Amino acid sequence: MSDTAITFDNVSRFYGEVLGVNRITLSLSPGITSLVGPNGSGKTTLMNLMTGLVRPTCGEIRVLGVKPTEPAKLFRLVGYATQFDSFPKGLTGFEFIYSFLRLFGSSSAESARLSAQAIAQVGMTEAANRKVAGYSKGMRQRIKLAQAIAHNPRVLVLDEPLNGLDPLVRIETIDLFRKYASEGRHVIVSSHILHEVEAISDQVILLNSGYVVAEGQIHGVRSEIQERPYEILVRCSRPSELASKAFELDHVVEAQLLADGGGVLVKTRDADRLLRALNHLALGGIQIEGVAPADDNVNSVYDYLIGGEGATK
Amino acid sequence: MKTFALGQILAVIRLELGKTFFARRGLWIYLLALAPVVLFLGHSIYAPREQQRLARLAAAHPVPAKALNSIQTGMSRQEVLKDLGRPYFQRTWRHRRGPRRFREHVFYAYTDGRSDFHFFFADGRLRFIRRDDPDTLAKLSVIFATVFQYYYLRLAVFFGCVGVFINLFRGEMLDKSLHFYLLTPVRREVLTVGKYLAGLLATMVIFTASTALQIAAMLWEFGHGAVGSYLAGGGWGQIGAYLGITALACVGYGSVFLAAGLLFRNPIIPAAAVLIWESANLFLPPTLKHLSLIFYLQSLCPVVAAPAGNLPRLLTLLISAAQPASHAAALACVLVFSLAVVAVSCLRARTLEISYGTD
Repeated sequence: MSDTAITFDNVSRFYGEVLGVNRITLSLSPGITSLVGPNGSGKTTLMNLMTGLVRPTCGEIRVLGVKPTEPAKLFRLVGYATQFDSFPKGLTGFEFIYSFLRLFGSSSAESARLSAQAIAQVGMTEAANRKVAGYSKGMRQRIKLAQAIAHNPRVLVLDEPLNGLDPLVRIETIDLFRKYASEGRHVIVSSHILHEVEAISDQVILLNSGYVVAEGQIHGVRSEIQERPYEILVRCSRPSELASKAFELDHVVEAQLLADGGGVLVKTRDADRLLRALNHLALGGIQIEGVAPADDNVNSVYDYLIGGEGATK
Repeated sequence: MKTFALGQILAVIRLELGKTFFARRGLWIYLLALAPVVLFLGHSIYAPREQQRLARLAAAHPVPAKALNSIQTGMSRQEVLKDLGRPYFQRTWRHRRGPRRFREHVFYAYTDGRSDFHFFFADGRLRFIRRDDPDTLAKLSVIFATVFQYYYLRLAVFFGCVGVFINLFRGEMLDKSLHFYLLTPVRREVLTVGKYLAGLLATMVIFTASTALQIAAMLWEFGHGAVGSYLAGGGWGQIGAYLGITALACVGYGSVFLAAGLLFRNPIIPAAAVLIWESANLFLPPTLKHLSLIFYLQSLCPVVAAPAGNLPRLLTLLISAAQPASHAAALACVLVFSLAVVAVSCLRARTLEISYGTD
């Protein structure tokens, strides 16, 4: 069992007769991992399972070699910002983080130092001595994040962490995730905002109805979907000519001229062969200005695998 | 490791105490605890004024105590008037008993300056005598014992523990803030013990302080001499016993309601069941009496309360007497029971899941 990975071994969780997640087998390596899926797909259940807030009906989970049933060990490694937007009553932001840090066994001075540091990392220093009850939604999100990172965990689990954040704070928060990931830590994020997931994730796990429908790097996941043709956007000087030549290739299933007349959208079953063919066409006199995958992103993968209704574009 | 767990328990207590002592929803617990204090304080203020009033009346309507004590039921109104003279207060009223039949009732009040005597006549004959003697520490000790055993332990401490201990887990589930504890490196058993001790500390402070204030309020009307001889003659022991029993009640009921908050989605139902069981203790057969906390708590009480006097005659027939448990056995039973229930709570906490949606 790896001590650097988070592993799910055939994990299922049922809430009575309702399926939470089913037969999940995963191994998450360090970096930013995004859990993507529509509501009820099992993202939060997966996070709650790895942090011991719920227990698997069957299967086994290890977080860096530690079972979630061992909180004394687990939460030295893990910080979890849940989706619950509620806090202990009567505490200021600082007191909230400080009080729970004392449960880690830190001294008063050390807890105060770590609290101040975490609050500074999320840009909440000025509001630290105000009651949490008076915070805006975005501030509450940030103070939850501060609490999750305050003890410097190796695994950061964040349920919809970007909800309610304004654009500037969102960028700063994403930078914080990247910093953590670059230090070799796990950052596991769930989100509906797919373009952000694509921008920040090293790995995505697509969930639907409690099942993992795809996992891996975005591009790797896309290439596994063999039955769906790739869409490649080619900007070129003579689009009609390129379209007709593309049609001659046996792996090309469709070529659409763009409405602006500046290129062609080519659908192919073999992107590598198409790219090689484009080199030949360029040598033949058609000026290729740009080639870009039009569907090699989370949205498309999500649409292909799960269906359009769950996707938030 | 033990030191570390102790540190965590202290951190949990620190977090919980603020919530327990200053929670707005816990205000009623203070009212419950202070109600008997107000009762005894009110009595301590009233009793000396009543004595002064009787002394003034005795000066205006002097009657020898010996003559008052010689009055017996069955005497005629004229005989009473002949022996005692005019009362300081009298009242007459008629009660219709048929179309043309009335029964005449007369009430006379006399005092010798210390005791108040009320004589009730019907159809010219003395039917009933009520005598209010001045307060003595012995008399008030029994009143205190009755209030302590039948109101304070059974209702105030009981419901105070319901309010504090049930909320330790269930309240945080309803507030959706319990997960913050479960996301720290604190073993669930340590968390449970920490919360229990926090609840215990809070209830012990509130209710033992109330017990001490009740006793102080009770003694307030007596002079230094009377209080001094009461304390020297075993009073300190009684006070210590009442404070200890209050604390022990918090230990016992606290453990029960901690478990109820963890084991039941709606802990008010088991709390009501325990209340009925504890209240019915007076009427339970001797063997079943041993299965209630109140039996052991009452066994430890230094003064025996006499509840039967105020109960309807039919109910007094249902009261069953049981030999009280020895002090050591009563103490051991409450502590062992509480430890066992806290242990069950710890086991339950180990498998506790966060499912706010269903709570």
